[in-house]
Amino acid sequence: MASSLPNELSSERLQLLAGVLDAIIPPGEGDDLPGAGELGLGEALQRKAPELVPLVAEGLGALEREMANRQVADFGGLAESDKRSLLEDLGSEQPGFLPALLFQVYTTYYQHPRVLAALGLEARPPYPLGYELEGGDLGLLDPVRKRPPLYRRT
Amino acid sequence: MSEETVDVVIVGAGAAAAAFAYSLAETRMKIVCLEQGDWMNPAEYPSSASDWELRGFGDFGLSPNGRGRPEDYPVNDAESPIAISNFNAVGGSTILYAGHFPRLHPSDFRTRSLDGVGEDWPLDYASLEAYYDDNAVMMGVAGLAGDPAYPPKKVPLPPVPLGQVGETLGRGFNRLGWHWWPSDSAIATVEHAGRAPCINLGPCLTGCAQGAKGSTDVTYWPAAVRRGVEVRTRCRVREITVGEDDRAEGVIYYDADGVEQHQRAEVVVVACNGVGTPRLLLNSRSKNFPQGLANRSGRVGHNLMFHPYAMVQGVFEEPLDGYKGPMGCCIMSQEFYETDLQRDFVRGYSFEITRGVGPIGTALAGMSSGDIPWGPDHHRAYSERFNRTMGMVAICEDLPELHNRVSLDPELTDGNGIPAPKIHYRLSENSERMLEHAVARGREVLEAAGARETSAQAPLPFAGWHLMGTARMGTDPEDSVVNEWGRSHDVKNLFVIDGSIFVTSGAVNPTNTIQALALFIAEQVKQRLANLFD
Repeated sequence: MASSLPNELSSERLQLLAGVLDAIIPPGEGDDLPGAGELGLGEALQRKAPELVPLVAEGLGALEREMANRQVADFGGLAESDKRSLLEDLGSEQPGFLPALLFQVYTTYYQHPRVLAALGLEARPPYPLGYELEGGDLGLLDPVRKRPPLYRRT
Repeated sequence: MSEETVDVVIVGAGAAAAAFAYSLAETRMKIVCLEQGDWMNPAEYPSSASDWELRGFGDFGLSPNGRGRPEDYPVNDAESPIAISNFNAVGGSTILYAGHFPRLHPSDFRTRSLDGVGEDWPLDYASLEAYYDDNAVMMGVAGLAGDPAYPPKKVPLPPVPLGQVGETLGRGFNRLGWHWWPSDSAIATVEHAGRAPCINLGPCLTGCAQGAKGSTDVTYWPAAVRRGVEVRTRCRVREITVGEDDRAEGVIYYDADGVEQHQRAEVVVVACNGVGTPRLLLNSRSKNFPQGLANRSGRVGHNLMFHPYAMVQGVFEEPLDGYKGPMGCCIMSQEFYETDLQRDFVRGYSFEITRGVGPIGTALAGMSSGDIPWGPDHHRAYSERFNRTMGMVAICEDLPELHNRVSLDPELTDGNGIPAPKIHYRLSENSERMLEHAVARGREVLEAAGARETSAQAPLPFAGWHLMGTARMGTDPEDSVVNEWGRSHDVKNLFVIDGSIFVTSGAVNPTNTIQALALFIAEQVKQRLANLFD
């Protein structure tokens, strides 16, 4: 029932959420890309999208029940294939949970300064510095310049 | 209630209204423009903050239904494969447009004579040529002279940079022997008329914080205001009032406080775009016009044209320019613009090459397509696509069809209780065949340019950017809404000047032609002042 749903996640739920986030975007191998779970995105989600907290709490509750059914104590200790199986199986009970979480994770992760730095990008908005861009070789147009008019005369 | 009767009241402050008001203001007539949005503050555009990409899905989104700003009105487009995109502010949709600024071709004005489809316009390319030239200076158009796809034309500013994207695709076009050319773009590539030059911010589609893009709030409007035009913002017009003599008397609108006002005027000019204009006319019912104002032909709202878009993208091995540079403006190809009877469709399309998107845009596109999965394979898939994806849109000519139309929704209303528009639209077989052709040719040129994989989507469901044809011009009052210089056949002091009056759509972005037409109509008004209502 919506009225009994929390406005914020407990520390245990935040820890479980971090494991789920790491399953969605795990740490990179051989580069500096962090896992989504280690960036505090769960806390960020509570701040920036509080309307989603009840949905996420319901999803995590369903995950806890399914873990109990499968006698799993530590989500993070599972093999990647088992994590995927667990999360995808939530779809029948909580169809909105994973799509909403994916959108939030993708949009928050790829805005994080650590991620942008690991991608080789400056962690800044485009304005006011802008960017340099090569003008390019307009000589490439020479074969086009030699063509007769393409437009129909009327 | 205002007791003052002004000479001219213009409804809407977008591309057409700005050009028209600026031109007409040299007469020193009292001109008032009513706009339901407000002046934009460029400092608040998304590209000034770190969440710049996300806001393109929020308060700077394309759809008024998703954006939900108080100045927006809802549009019921649930039954259309193409959703409406617009923006309500001083500057209108030029706030969010890419700045693509091609002209129509001469053949676009003669589709009935040349190809037996659509209708001929009551004017031709030569009639608008001088206005295209004037508009290029006012809007600050960048490009390159010598394009064989067009009659010779003036281009005042140097072209936008090709960048890695333009060069790579240009080589692909050359390998196939196809036409391509730097896009005509309303983007100040050098300082122009007080506007700072483009610094390649990237996200032009959420407003230009630099002020380099030619949105009319930074081009025509400041000049029009200096000439004495009054722009009243946050004023939403409900209806045009009309007298027993079939003359428009003025407009009823809600001001910023929601208070009903009546502005009287000698001349009423409607410039609300191809959806907003028929909506206003259909909402303006009276004893003399029970089916809506200026609608004795029954044509108001009909012949709605979009440009059906196909998007074709390629993934390349080498790094590209990322999201740097004007997003929508780079190069274009009009190899398939004119009718070729060997194809299975008439008329044609343009390819417009798009630059890359940012980190979030890449992730969301990959999520949507399934190309960037979540889980262990995420980073590999992401790195293969980010900064390595580019592509194009094919902008296809849409032919006028009576059944494609704008009506009034029986239930949906805006924040002032004014009935909202409803869209009735389906793709023609000609459009479907054209889209199919465009996707195949798009893949071909991307592969010729070195793409290792391609993907396509057609039609683009969110691409209802270009709204045309719903109050078209013509010489026959039975089959058109306004005459050959924009005046209503039925109401002698009512003008329509936006994309509604297009007879056919061509296969290019319409803003340049909308403004050239607005300048043309303003000139006609100036020349006919002595007998304007005859």
